Amino acid sequence: MAVDLLTLAFQRPHIDWHGIAPELVLLGVGALITLVDIVFLEKARPITAALAGLGLLATAVPLLTLAADGTDRVMFDGAYVVDEFSLVMKAIFLLSAYVVVLLSTNYVAEGDYWENEYYGLLLASVMGMVMMASARDLVSIFVALELLSIPAYLMVAWRKRDLRSNEAGLKYYLMGVFASAVMLYGMSLLYGVSGSTMLDDIGTAVAAAGSSVPVVTMAIVFIVAGFAFKVSAVPFHTWAPDVYEGAPTPVTAFLAVASKAAGFVALLVLVLVAFPSASDVWEPLVWILAAASMTVGNMVALRQTNVVRLMAYSGIAQTGFMIAPLAVAGHGGGSADQALSAVVTYLAIYAAMNLGAFAVIIVLARKTGSAETTSFAGAFHYAPGLTVAMTIFLFSLAGIPPLGGWFAKFEVFRVLATAGEPWGYVLAAVGAVNSVIALYYYAALARRMWADDAPDGDHAPVPMTPSLASALGICGIVTLAFGVAPQLVARFTDVTLAALGG
Amino acid sequence: MSDFLRSWLVLVVFGGLAVLLVSAFLGLGSLLRPSRDTPQKSINYESGVDPQGDMWAQSNIRYYVFALMFVLFDVEAVFIFPWATRLEVYDVFGLVEMAIFIFILALGLFYAWRKRLLRWV
Repeated sequence: MAVDLLTLAFQRPHIDWHGIAPELVLLGVGALITLVDIVFLEKARPITAALAGLGLLATAVPLLTLAADGTDRVMFDGAYVVDEFSLVMKAIFLLSAYVVVLLSTNYVAEGDYWENEYYGLLLASVMGMVMMASARDLVSIFVALELLSIPAYLMVAWRKRDLRSNEAGLKYYLMGVFASAVMLYGMSLLYGVSGSTMLDDIGTAVAAAGSSVPVVTMAIVFIVAGFAFKVSAVPFHTWAPDVYEGAPTPVTAFLAVASKAAGFVALLVLVLVAFPSASDVWEPLVWILAAASMTVGNMVALRQTNVVRLMAYSGIAQTGFMIAPLAVAGHGGGSADQALSAVVTYLAIYAAMNLGAFAVIIVLARKTGSAETTSFAGAFHYAPGLTVAMTIFLFSLAGIPPLGGWFAKFEVFRVLATAGEPWGYVLAAVGAVNSVIALYYYAALARRMWADDAPDGDHAPVPMTPSLASALGICGIVTLAFGVAPQLVARFTDVTLAALGG
Repeated sequence: MSDFLRSWLVLVVFGGLAVLLVSAFLGLGSLLRPSRDTPQKSINYESGVDPQGDMWAQSNIRYYVFALMFVLFDVEAVFIFPWATRLEVYDVFGLVEMAIFIFILALGLFYAWRKRLLRWV
């Protein structure tokens, strides 16, 4: 196979400009923010947040035209695909990032942290996520993963003068790099087996090799473990509580929602496109991850006294629910499609309710200056609206109808129960027990806010800002709408991967 | 024994041989050579001069910034050299592509310059 490189003609790759327009707009806005920072330095501080927000909204425009167009687009020999699934996930990323910008504006400005760089890095990270939704080849997936992770490592340590933030940044960086290394090792094994980095070709090669080949098993285990770090599934969750607590709270919201969703996107694409034939390897693995995440996350959450740590463990438990449908996704006959839309539905609803809960935490912490559950006591007396909103988000996270979280859990249970698989029923039972446990700590926090007295009898009103109010409004409306009219979310999230023949 | 396991057996045999050879040579050396320790001999080797200070020496944080800037140019070079050798084949497409690439990297350099990171105070 000695190809003379000098005689190899260069073929200009076909680029579908419409297909990558969202990425290009994001890149342009990111470069613009950096340029504005270079030219105006500190004088640019008041406008960068607005620029970032407008940039994210502008990115949604090509996304809408692509959705209206509706054709699947394949670029770069199949390495980059724009299909229903990727469009819906990109929309989730952009909307979550927009809400995070709304949450960040006051926090970053009041804390006197670097502001211009913050939004530049946020956009870079979002660009990695948007790329992740389209990447269908190992190299693109890895580049997208690093592009979304590296800015996040920096943003976690953004409270520069706070030791806990520094510790969180270092911890997240070390854990993230370790996870990348593990995953990269798995990818290299996969490339060794298939001789290709394209997920389609890997799918064919894995099917031909059969899952009994130890190398294939090892590769799958390593890759799933690597992404389990990213989505903070037990037993790869240890970084999450410390990082969530130390990071600036808007960044915590960003990690808990957008970064986790990006990990799920890669996991879904890899499992369903690259190793559908090796389901006897990843199904038990995912089963264990799901059951362990739900149980451990909820059990530890019961004992938390800090709201952010509580949300971290609740997020771990929610990861268990999100990953659960994958445990029965390998039986053919549409089971992959069903699991896919269940996970996407959960991700969309989870983004709204979790961002909403973090928004309330940020607003209340502005007044109390602390995230201990005791400092949230008696919030009803001075902030009735916020308390109602928090109650909605908490009960939605617990899965109480008629709120969005109920429909998300319902979809997961439906997929588990209709798979006709004994292990599916067992996992559904584990999930049902865990829903009850979760209700206890969500309701305990709500009760504290409604019934207890405010510490020191401090009933001064909470300072509200327009951006925080609109973030709360967006999350609240989405959470309620998806719960009252689940067909709404189902219309958007009933997606298929182009590679699954959808 | 399957083909798969047999190929691992080769690895095990070679690994064993490697360990055996290295320990044999080192062991032989330690048996044959004279052993006369002096305090001078157990000092850390530092390019031939006597080592100074503690091993936990701190270095200036500015070196870190310069290391990062070095990476910037390093990555740039890694991509520019292969492109430059085949410049005529990539034509205008390659030129535009490289211009965008250099622009994005240059943003990083301008940023460092504007934030006074290039100055050695």
